[in-house]
This record gives sequence, C-alpha cells and structure tokens, in this order.
Amino acid sequence: MTSLTLLWVLPLAGAAACLLAGRAGRGAAKACALLFSAAFFAVSLAVLAGFLHGESAIVVGGAPWAFGISYRLAADGLSMALITLTSFLTLICVAASWKLDVSAAYWANFLALASALTGVFLARDLFLFYVFWEATLIPMFFIIGLWGSDNRRHAAVKFFLFTFAGSILMLLALLALVAAAHSATGVWTWDLDALKGAPLGAAAPWVFLGLLLGFGVKIPIVPMHTWLPDAHTEAPAAGSVMLAGVMLKMGLYGIIRVALPLFPAYALSWAPWLAGLAAINAVYGALCAMAQTDLKRLVAYSSIAHLGFCVLGVVSLTAQGLTGGSLQMINHGITTGALFLLVGFLYERAHKRGVSDFGGLAARAPWMAFFFGFSIFASVGLPGLNGFVGEFMCLSGIAHSSVPLLGVPFFAVAGVAGVTLAAAYALPAFQAVFWAPEGGASVSDHVTDLDLREKSILWTLCALMLWIGLSPQGWLSVLEPAIRGLVR
Amino acid sequence: MTPAQVPVAVWLLFAAPISAILFGFFVMRPLKPEWTHWPILASCAVVVAAAFSLTARVLGGRSFDVNLYRWAATNGWAVDAGIRIDGVGMAVLSMVALVGSLIHVYAAAYMRGEKGFSRFFLVFHLFFLAMIGLLTANNYVQLYLFWELVGVSSYLLIGYWFHKESARKAALKAILVNRVGDFGFLLALLYILATFKVSHFHLIYLQVSAGQGLAALPVIGLLLIWAACAKSAQFPLYFWLPDAMEGPTPTSALMHAATMVTAGVFLLVRSWPLIAVVPWLPHLVAGIGAFTALFAGIVACTKKDLKRILAYSTVSHLGLMMLALGLGQVGLAVFHLVVHGFFKAALFLCAGNIGHAIHKPTADVDEVGGWRKAMPVTYGIFLVSSLSLAGIWPLAGFYSKDAILDAARRGGGWIGVASLAIGALSAFYIFRMLFLTFHGDRPEQQQLSHHPHEGTLDFVLPVALLAAGAAFAGLWAPHLETLLVYGWHGLPMGLPNMPGTLNLPGSPIIPRLDWHDALGVGSLMAALGLAGAYYLTMVDQSWDWRWRAASPLLESVFESDFGWKTLMDAIASGTVSFARVVGRTFDKGWWDGLIEGTATASRRGADALAEFSQGRLNDYLWWMAAAAALLLGGALR
Repeated sequence: MTSLTLLWVLPLAGAAACLLAGRAGRGAAKACALLFSAAFFAVSLAVLAGFLHGESAIVVGGAPWAFGISYRLAADGLSMALITLTSFLTLICVAASWKLDVSAAYWANFLALASALTGVFLARDLFLFYVFWEATLIPMFFIIGLWGSDNRRHAAVKFFLFTFAGSILMLLALLALVAAAHSATGVWTWDLDALKGAPLGAAAPWVFLGLLLGFGVKIPIVPMHTWLPDAHTEAPAAGSVMLAGVMLKMGLYGIIRVALPLFPAYALSWAPWLAGLAAINAVYGALCAMAQTDLKRLVAYSSIAHLGFCVLGVVSLTAQGLTGGSLQMINHGITTGALFLLVGFLYERAHKRGVSDFGGLAARAPWMAFFFGFSIFASVGLPGLNGFVGEFMCLSGIAHSSVPLLGVPFFAVAGVAGVTLAAAYALPAFQAVFWAPEGGASVSDHVTDLDLREKSILWTLCALMLWIGLSPQGWLSVLEPAIRGLVR
Repeated sequence: MTPAQVPVAVWLLFAAPISAILFGFFVMRPLKPEWTHWPILASCAVVVAAAFSLTARVLGGRSFDVNLYRWAATNGWAVDAGIRIDGVGMAVLSMVALVGSLIHVYAAAYMRGEKGFSRFFLVFHLFFLAMIGLLTANNYVQLYLFWELVGVSSYLLIGYWFHKESARKAALKAILVNRVGDFGFLLALLYILATFKVSHFHLIYLQVSAGQGLAALPVIGLLLIWAACAKSAQFPLYFWLPDAMEGPTPTSALMHAATMVTAGVFLLVRSWPLIAVVPWLPHLVAGIGAFTALFAGIVACTKKDLKRILAYSTVSHLGLMMLALGLGQVGLAVFHLVVHGFFKAALFLCAGNIGHAIHKPTADVDEVGGWRKAMPVTYGIFLVSSLSLAGIWPLAGFYSKDAILDAARRGGGWIGVASLAIGALSAFYIFRMLFLTFHGDRPEQQQLSHHPHEGTLDFVLPVALLAAGAAFAGLWAPHLETLLVYGWHGLPMGLPNMPGTLNLPGSPIIPRLDWHDALGVGSLMAALGLAGAYYLTMVDQSWDWRWRAASPLLESVFESDFGWKTLMDAIASGTVSFARVVGRTFDKGWWDGLIEGTATASRRGADALAEFSQGRLNDYLWWMAAAAALLLGGALR
C-alpha cells in the first residue's frame, strides 16, 4: 500500500522541496531535484523488480467517500514499466538541464509532472484517473510557456486548449459512463474494475467514442495532432522529452487500461476503423516528417508516425500486438528522448534548429554524430535496436489478427510502408546536419562536441536501446500479463 | 545439440569481430587511431580459421542448427536467436571469410594516412561481422537483423567521404533503395510468421514439404524475390549499386565480392525450398536474372569509369546467379557466387591500385592507358581475373559461368539466346577495359604528369592471392558439392531430405564441365567478345571516343541506363514533392491553418462577448455546459 502511494507522493514532495530549497538559491533547488528524481527512480525500480520476480499486481484500496469515488491504486507490469520510464526520463531530464540557469520552479514543475503522470498510471478509480490526467496539463503548460523558445506562449496555449478539449470529452464520457452504470445497477461507483461489464445500454457507443476522442488527442491520432508539432518544437528540450516520452503514452495507456476493457465488444467491431486511422498515422506522420525543415518538428512528426504503430499493434488485439505496442511505448520514450536531447544540445550551442542551418558536424562533433546516428537508426527500426522489436511485434500482430477485417493485407502493407518511409525522413536530415558542408552562415562553428555529462546521458540511453533490441524478452514478460485479458 | 555443445569456432566467429570492434572503438580510436586495424586484422585471422574449421565440420557431415536464446515471445508467438551451421552457409562463409580478410589486409595499406582511418576500419569490420551473422542465422528474423546491419554498414562506408556530394547522394540512394527492398522482406517476415507460426528455416522446410502453408507461398516468394532484387542489385532495383562505388575502393571490393550483394542470392538459396514449390516463381527468377545480366552487360560496355564498368559487371554476374537459381541449379548459383567473389574482388583491388597510382579514388579510361609496363604485377593479376570472368578454360570462371550459360542454352527460349549474348558481352566489356587501361596509349588519353608505379607488397600480395582464387577456385567444386549435399541432408533431429530441387534423383548438384566443353559454344562466344574488344580498342583505337562524339544521344541513353535511372529519379523526387504537399501545404497550411483560424475567430467572438459578459472563462463554461448536455442527452436517451 505505502509503496504505491509513495510512488506519486515522493516526486510531489520533491516539487515542494525544490520550491522551498529555491529560497536558498538556484543551486540548492537543482540539487534537491536531482536528489528526489534519483530517489523516485530508485523506488520505482524497486517496485518494478517485484514484477520481474513474478508478481502480477499490487492493489491499494480504500472505501468510497462520496459519489462512489474511492482512493484505489493498482500497479501491474504495464503501469510499472511506464512509471519507471517516467522516473527514468525525469532523472535524465534533470541531468540534461543541469547547465541551465533556471529558477526553482523549473525543477518543481518537472517533479510535479512526474507525480501526476505516475498517478495516471496507478489510478484504478476513474475519478482519480481524471484528476491526475488533468493535473499533468498544468506543469507542462508552464514548462512550455515559461521555458520554451520564441513562440512558446502560443504553443503553450494551443497545447492546453487542445488537450483540455480532449480531457473535457473524456470527462463527459466518464460522467455518462458512471451515470449510465448507476441507472442500470443503482450503485454509484467510479471503480474501473467494478464498471467492467456494467450494462450501459444505448450510452455505450457514445461513452466509447468520447473516451477514444479524449485519448486520441493525446496520442495523437491524425487529424487531432496539430498541437503536437508546435508544443514539441517550442518546449525546452527536457520538456519535449517528457512530452513525447511519457505524455503521449497516456493516450495509449488510457485505451489499453480503460477503453478496451470497458467495451470489449466495441473494441472488436471498431478495431478496423481504429487500425485504419493508425495506418494513416504511420504513413501521414512519415510524409509530414519528410517535409520538415526544423529538426524538432521532424522528430515531433516522427512521433506521430511511431505512435501509429503502437495503436496498430494494440487494436490488433493479439498477444504480440498488445505486448509489442506496450513495449514500443517504452522504446519510443527512450529513442525519441535521446533525439530531442540531442537537438536540444545542438540548440544550446548554436541557437538554431533548422536542418539546413548546420553542416559537416560529423567532423566537428563526432560524438554528437555517433549518438545521433545511433538514435536515428533505433528510431527507424534497425533490427538489433529497440525500435524494431516494438514495430515488428505490432505489425506481426496486425498480420496475425483474428479480428474481422484486420487480416486484410492493407494494414500490414501500410504499416510496413511507414517503416520504409522512416528512413526517407530521418537519414536525409542526419546527412544534412552531420555530413553535408554547411551553407551560408557558419552556425556550426559554435558547435562543440558533447561533454562528459552529456555523453553519459546518451550512453545510458543508447545502451538501453541496444539492450532492449537484443534481448527484449525480459521486458515482454513484465508487460505481457497486464494485457492478457484483452487478447482475442 | 544444446547451446553448451556449440563448438568454440562458432563463438569465435562472433566474439573475435565484436571484441575487435569494441576494443578498436574504446581503446585504439582514442589512443592510437592509426593502429585500429591491428586488432581487426587479428580478428580476421580468427574468423578465417573458425570458418574453415566449421566448413571441415560440415564436410564431415556434422552440420547443426541450435537455438541459443528466446529473443522475443508472447503467448503463441515466438522468435529465437540461434545458429545454423550448414552446407549452404559454410559454402558462402568460407569464401566470405577468406576474400573479406584479404580485402581487410589490402585496406590497411590502401587507407593508410586517411583522416578517418579508424572510423573506416571499425565500420568495415562491422560490415564483415554483419555478413557472418547473416550466413549463420537459423531463422528469418535473425537473417533480417543482419541483412539490415549489412545495409547500414554499407551506407556508412559509401558515405565515408561525406564531404563529397556524390558520396552522400550515393549512400542515401543505396540505403533507400535497399529499404524499398526491405519493404518486401519485412512483409514476407510477417506473412511467414502468420502462416507457419515459426521463423526457423528447417521448421518451415518441414512444413512446406508436408504440404502446409502452400497457399501463402506465392506471395511470400514474390516478396522475398523483391527483397533479393534490392540487395543483389537486380532489375528493377539494381540502380543503387553502380553509384555505390563512391566509397573507398576496398569497400567496393568487399561489397561486390563478399558481403553485400551476395546476401540477396543467399536469401533466395535459403528460401529456395519455399520458392521452388510455386511453379511460376523460378521462371520469374530466371527471367529477372537473364534480363538483368543482359542489360547490365550492355551498359557495362559503354562506361568509362573503371569502377563503374566493374559495378555493372557485378550486376550482370548477379543476374547470372539468379538465372542459375531460376533454372533450378542451386548448386551452380552458389558455386558462381564463390568464384565471382574471388575474381571480382581481385578486379576491384586492381582498380584500387590504379587509383592509388594516380592518387585518385577512381580512374577513367580517359586518364589511363598503356600501363602494362608500369604496373606489370597489377596487369598480370587483372589479366588472370579477366580471363576467369570471361569464362576462359581452364580458369575457375569457366567452370561456374559457362555451366550456367550452358544450362540456360539447354533450357532454350529467349533466355537461351540471351545467354549467348551475355557470354560475349562479359568478355567484351572486361577486355575492353583491360586493353584500354593496360595496352597502348591512345591520343585521347591524357598524359599523366607523373609516372604510375606499382604499390608496395601489401598492395599486391592480397590481390595476387585473390587472383589465385579466381584461377583455381574451380577445384573447390567437388567439396562445394559435398558441402551442399550435407548442408541439406545432415541436420540432426531426424529431418527428412530437403524439399525443392536439390535432391532430384539423377541431377548433379554442380554440373561438371570437361576440358572438351571448352570447345563448345560458350567459349566461342567468349572468344568473339574478346576479339571484338581487341578490334575496337587495339586495331580501331579511337572507336570508343568516336562513337561518343558522333552520337551524344546514344551516349546519354546508355548513361541513363536506357532511361531507367531517369524514371527512378523522377519517382524519388515525386515522392519528396508529394511529402512537401502533404506536410507543408496541407498539414501546416490548410489543416493547422483552419484550426488556428477557428481559434482566432472564436477568440475574436469571445472578445466581443466579453464586453457583455464577465470574461472569457464564462465562454468556456457555456461551451462545456452545452457539450455536456449534448453528450449526456445522447447517453441517457
């Protein structure tokens, strides 16, 4: 019990501590952030370790206090994997921002964000889930709006309005769900497990639609994606890491944890439509990425494409698709995190992000070129690195799927086309920045190679990419029990 | 066999290159970059020894296939990582290890003093490692892993001189075209797993021979052939290979002879039991091979760049291997793959020697001429290798290439006719190159300011050894045959014989040619080509320059590979333009513009409303309430 509560309270306490320490000076706040994020990571690892040794779920329950709302938390392999990802990336973000001269609020926001995200992944009471869900918006709004680049205020407002609109839809759907369940059973409850199988009557498709729209904005599913490129581009590097690394996964997590278990029948009958949208995501995201001239926008669009694979795997409702989709969430967090950090390191040095602003960096900054190339290849799905495992399992799930209509080759072909296109957007950008001679103003002169701190961060991320790529089985066996109930 | 019983040689096959690369990267590169090649050359020696010891093992009938660990699995779905040491793998690996190592030795001399020497050697060895993994994989997913690693290493090597625009373009082209091929491979993987539920070669062979999964085989076969067309540079996806010579010459040698382009042929050999079951697929493979061999043979005759001539020659010879496969001569395809590895590596390294002599990465026939006296050893090596390539008795090329052409002739049809032309063309283009480079100066050829000279021993000895292989590799045929027989038969676990064409009663695995076959049509065609080359370069000395001057149109037709390269460029730039329309005009302009426009409009509306109400917040609340009413109404109806 205490361990799960500790998981979300610890970073929140860290946020408060940072603010307090901030009075003593910026250095104290920073040290405090490092301390708490490291402690958070250690605690989450310790809980995750339990799942490596065969534990399948931990539940914390409380009596309902009003309108059937109760403090219920639970963790299984999927939750813990995502929480560990959150704590890991928070620690990475703190380390990556070390040289920034920022106020205590910066660190506090990151820790508050980590706390809210952890809450989302733990909550099994839908009201609690919603509260945590909304709570993630606030720190991210400030991170983008206060520490972002030139166009930050526009991006922050756009991000907030877009995702808030999605959350409102989700809230309405949840209200309708609880109300419908109440009118059918006479009991007020927000308990996710109790609501499974509740007769909802005619409300069911509307609730499902509302949930999908709410989650879909977050993932994001095309055409609800246009907040993402702006938000990612304007956010500070560490903000983009959290945004792409964890926040996008909330939507997919919501689908896996809430939407699909509550509506198994609709999950089945709507799967082809969802798969169609996911296939569009994969191809459309890749095509858009090909057209970008700003490195951050390019990575942002590549996220849209990658999340398309995840959705494709999840809606296939096969064991390998669901497990692969879940693993791909982790993979994408690591790989895209590394890419955003690298672009951020470039930006810190040159204050530019344009693909054509740079050139010939491979000679000037070989380590940067090495890590960028490594992460790019992980991102485009080079087998042996992590991206391939998830993508391949998702696509394999679609090709195996027994869901009616999903077996048609269209989905697999579109997905594989997305994989093919990935090289067509990633490698030209890599070449333009690191290989081609620079054009015009020599921004590249300001670029020095990575220092030890930056290299250590990237070595950690790249080692993970290689580890998951070569031996994903350990991760899969943690994730698999969590999705077993959804498999058709 | 359990993982514990796996012979040490297998571990060495991987441990040596991996540790050499890691040691090179972490220790040599920062401390002593100009010595990066030493651990790598040591690893090459270990790999050769390990490869030959495993080959001997298979020759002794002890091939094996073992899973090492479970790579990824969920309920009802599993992919393993394992090792398969069998005849086909060892037949190719023994050549790859030997030829690849000799090229490594050469590269150490050739690249000495280059700025990125250590980077070059590390990637070069990674390339080699990828091929070793590809040849010893025991399932399709693992094969795909190394297949992609081969692609990535080749990308990094082709783009080695990344300050050159042509190198960057060639690297990008190579990896993107290969990605297009991988589109087929990845889809094939998905359907193989969906159909057979496993990815292990031998389990799939078993299922196919039991008649399972036959309905999916045409599609799987087609997809695999598509993949092989990209990697092994076959029409319609061959066009990346001639540009790939932008990398340093040792790269070209390794890529053309040993590590890259042979992967596609190898994939089809591995998959042949699947492909041969579908009656029309072998015909397709034969058709692609014959067409590509003919087409590339013609284009090779018109090129001026030495490495480019050799590149088209590779395309043509890979076509011959495909043709052999399509004719059901799997053994011949493997045999020619091995022989080709020797003579093509030797030829490329000769071109490297010539380039080294004039301090350029490659040379045009405009720049070189009459070098026979200045570089006698290179000339001798080139001559032997050319004779082997042209299929002149008694060199190895005769036994492998003429046997394929012979089989094609006996098959008849247009392929039979094409095979005659291919025989003549390959003799023509290689001897045209030889005469233009080594014999007689022509007025059109520039006089060099300095005298060309032969390189030191390390430039010559590895090439000479390769040429020896080009001359005598034919003697390897009986052993190769034994390897192939055991490779398919000798699996433990009581596997039945390989399905497919290899064990048809009475048909030899590698048809033997005798000395009197050298008096046949094949030799006649080769002699015709050789004589034609002699006439058009030595007798009518200016012919090559005359026809270009007389008809620039014809030259441009050849330059664009009969328009195919132009068409492919148009498709590539069309895709990029389309992506621009989607990403900029539509997504950023229209769609995001529309959404932002709505926001702006509603903010203006809200500002107007704000004059009446308390502020903007009210506005949102109204909207929320309205939407809530709508959704709740729908829900509780």
